Amino acid sequence: MAEAKLDLKTAPGRFKSAAQSLRSEWLGLAFILLLVLFPFLFGWFTGTSVQDGPSKFWQGQLITFFIMAVYAMSYDLLIGYTGILSFGHAAFFGGGAYAMGLFLTHAGPKIIGSYKITIGSADITEVLVLIAAILLVVIVVSLLGLLFSVVSARIKGVYFAMISLAMADAIHILSKATDFGKWTGADEGLHGVPVPLWINPTQHRLLFYFVALAFCVIMYLIARRLVDSPTGRVFVALRENESRVRMIGYNPVTYRTLAFVIAAVIAGLAGALFSLWNMGATPTMTSAVTTINALIMTILGGIGTLIGPILGAGLMQIVGQFFYQWFGARWPLVFGLIFIALVLFLPYGVIGTYRLKRLEWKHGWQRLWGLVTSKP
Amino acid sequence: MRQGFFRRNATMLVVLGLIAVLGVIGWTTMGQQPFVRTTLSGLTIGALYFMVASGLTLIFGLMDVLNFAHGTMFMLGAYLGWQFYTNPTFLFGLFPLIFALLAGLVTSPILRSTFMSLKVSEKSQKSIQTVVALAGIALIVLAVRGLDILGLAKTAMVATMNMGNPLAEASAQEPLAIFWFRPVLMFIAGLLLATASARPGDRTQVVYASDKRQAWIISSSLLVLTVIATLLRESAPNAVLMWNGNLRFFAALAVGALCGAGLSAAVEVSLIRPLYVRPLYQVIVTLGLAYVLREIIQVLWDPLAYQMTRPPMFSQPGKAENILAWFSGQNLTVDVLGVTFPSYRLFIIVLGILMVIGLGVLMNYTRLGMIIRAGVQDRTMVEALGINVRKVFTIVFMLGAGLAALGGIGAAPFIPVQPNMGDAFQLQAFIVVVIGGMGSYSGAAIGALLLGLARAFGDYLALKFSLSPAIAEASTVIIMAIVLLVRPAGLFGKKE
Repeated sequence: MAEAKLDLKTAPGRFKSAAQSLRSEWLGLAFILLLVLFPFLFGWFTGTSVQDGPSKFWQGQLITFFIMAVYAMSYDLLIGYTGILSFGHAAFFGGGAYAMGLFLTHAGPKIIGSYKITIGSADITEVLVLIAAILLVVIVVSLLGLLFSVVSARIKGVYFAMISLAMADAIHILSKATDFGKWTGADEGLHGVPVPLWINPTQHRLLFYFVALAFCVIMYLIARRLVDSPTGRVFVALRENESRVRMIGYNPVTYRTLAFVIAAVIAGLAGALFSLWNMGATPTMTSAVTTINALIMTILGGIGTLIGPILGAGLMQIVGQFFYQWFGARWPLVFGLIFIALVLFLPYGVIGTYRLKRLEWKHGWQRLWGLVTSKP
Repeated sequence: MRQGFFRRNATMLVVLGLIAVLGVIGWTTMGQQPFVRTTLSGLTIGALYFMVASGLTLIFGLMDVLNFAHGTMFMLGAYLGWQFYTNPTFLFGLFPLIFALLAGLVTSPILRSTFMSLKVSEKSQKSIQTVVALAGIALIVLAVRGLDILGLAKTAMVATMNMGNPLAEASAQEPLAIFWFRPVLMFIAGLLLATASARPGDRTQVVYASDKRQAWIISSSLLVLTVIATLLRESAPNAVLMWNGNLRFFAALAVGALCGAGLSAAVEVSLIRPLYVRPLYQVIVTLGLAYVLREIIQVLWDPLAYQMTRPPMFSQPGKAENILAWFSGQNLTVDVLGVTFPSYRLFIIVLGILMVIGLGVLMNYTRLGMIIRAGVQDRTMVEALGINVRKVFTIVFMLGAGLAALGGIGAAPFIPVQPNMGDAFQLQAFIVVVIGGMGSYSGAAIGALLLGLARAFGDYLALKFSLSPAIAEASTVIIMAIVLLVRPAGLFGKKE
């Protein structure tokens, strides 16, 4: 047993020095740098202001992309890494969004109205309210994750897929039930959530852009660390062969619960940020469509990778924007057709196929290059 | 024997007993009228649930495919039936093309045996397949290009809006002189796609003589149908609209169910079959299919809700004193035990019961049913006994989707026809299947009965405590949770 654990811990690819990781991750770093500079570059190229116009619009698109990327990534932690076929992910996303929205709408103003907390001369009440809201989101969403994982401990496979869908739908129905309309706004959803002024996405778009970018990068790093850790290896082992995991001496239930709670918290935080960005929470966020979107993004980019879902989210958001211009309001049809074609012909998504064929392509290029250079 | 009967059907008896006890409690506390009304509406919902859930459970039990597009079949059935009932121009306009394509596609076994002996190097086999398939798809695009499908689809919308005379709006279609090339191109496209699926040059395949014979028969009859459909394209819609409304309604039931079954056969062969090696992707592809079909429906008929009118049999004004009186009066409502109840809903209950009986006969007394039951028990064994399980898969897929589509048309006169109408039913059908146990159609029947009654009484209770029906809808998940805690494999499921 101890040996097996040791095996997992000394898995290759860890203990890199800073220089090494800089060298191997240069593409990612360059991409992040590009995204950081994007608003300024865009403004510079088009000669428009950073604060409004098309620049503001594309910042908005990218903000949605960052949030959706985190959401899709959390879904891939479940379906791709741990191999849990769960169709209830919208419950976490929407749960986070509603927790944030409800707290800021109903509790926030009261707290700000009756208390005033300062450090020196700075008024930090609003910041504290936001932090409290984030904590609440984490608590609510972890409870939801625990609920799902309790069920998943007892029921496996496709059964669980159906039950998770049903459970998420129960939450969706509750989110649009008229009984709680006083608080949740029923079908309409929450609108005009009093988002703290300093982070208001309409007035401080650029700031929100950086917040969303930082959120995306941090969540990616956390997920990366998790996946590379011994725990993450157990997740993958669970996907591959559960009975063997039990034989080695790990409790599958514990690890599945852990995977669920982590994925739920990440998705919930994404949802919370999304509700800040939209300044509201609507029942669509808890509906099955939101789950299916996560699935599509994951499959599109490549299941079982972390970059894949991010790429998938980017394709869906940015390409979807162009599709909307070309095909009108029914652009998801084109996307769905592409999705089916991908499932049939490129089941590992963009990233997965790239990783599979990388060497093949490399050899092909080398041969081509050899032909070109050897024939002067 | 007596002992055996009780032991074998213990679960069924316990559940029925539970329902009976709850019924007695309900009768005494609620009073007769509300109780009867609630029970009847529960049975109506239960009948619809059964139509969706029975297909789902058979498909899962036999093929291990979780079909997320099943609710979409329900929705599609409702749309097709509504189309046929209000204005069949759209359907008749597309039939020639579809028949032609199918006639080409089913020739696959014939082409397989002819192209098998071609000398094609193994390397180029794959690329030939791709090229031919792409050419086929391009031909389909060419054949459909310029055809005003959206305009055809809009005809029924117009008809629903001015109810007086649907014939007035039956829009003109392309004359035959222009139209004829479309079915021809479709047929060639079908042939090309069949060639691609036949994998020319691949000698590892087996072709049965019986398959070939069948392909000849089906293909030639489809060709004849194509010709008939092409000629009748313009006159048939008018002729159908001249029919008696009741006849048209029952024809719509049949047409919708057949279209649903045909479409799902195409889905099974083209999307599900290549993915048996990757079961997870089967689930995912059905999700994608549901997504695409819903979008297509929205392209054709806009994201609006439509109401199909009731057939005249169920819409004469007034109230029938009892069910026998309804046969002569054909009234809108019927008096059942002192409760005024819509006669159409009673028809749905009858339809559901007929379906339970029909499916029971099919499963217990026919060869197909025997194969299906055996396949649910042990698929490999059935295959080893020399039965072509793949063909049975396709048939079950068709059967299930046909039942769901039938349920959809049945529901159309009292539920708004809209793109997401299947979702709620699919979800409840999932719950029914989980409660009843995967692969057991009697489980689906009991589960549907339970859930339908639970929904109706839940609504009643919710109304009584001034809550919204949404709470009752969400609470069905709790029933599922209770059943699963007691029996993780469902009430009638096989133990793992």
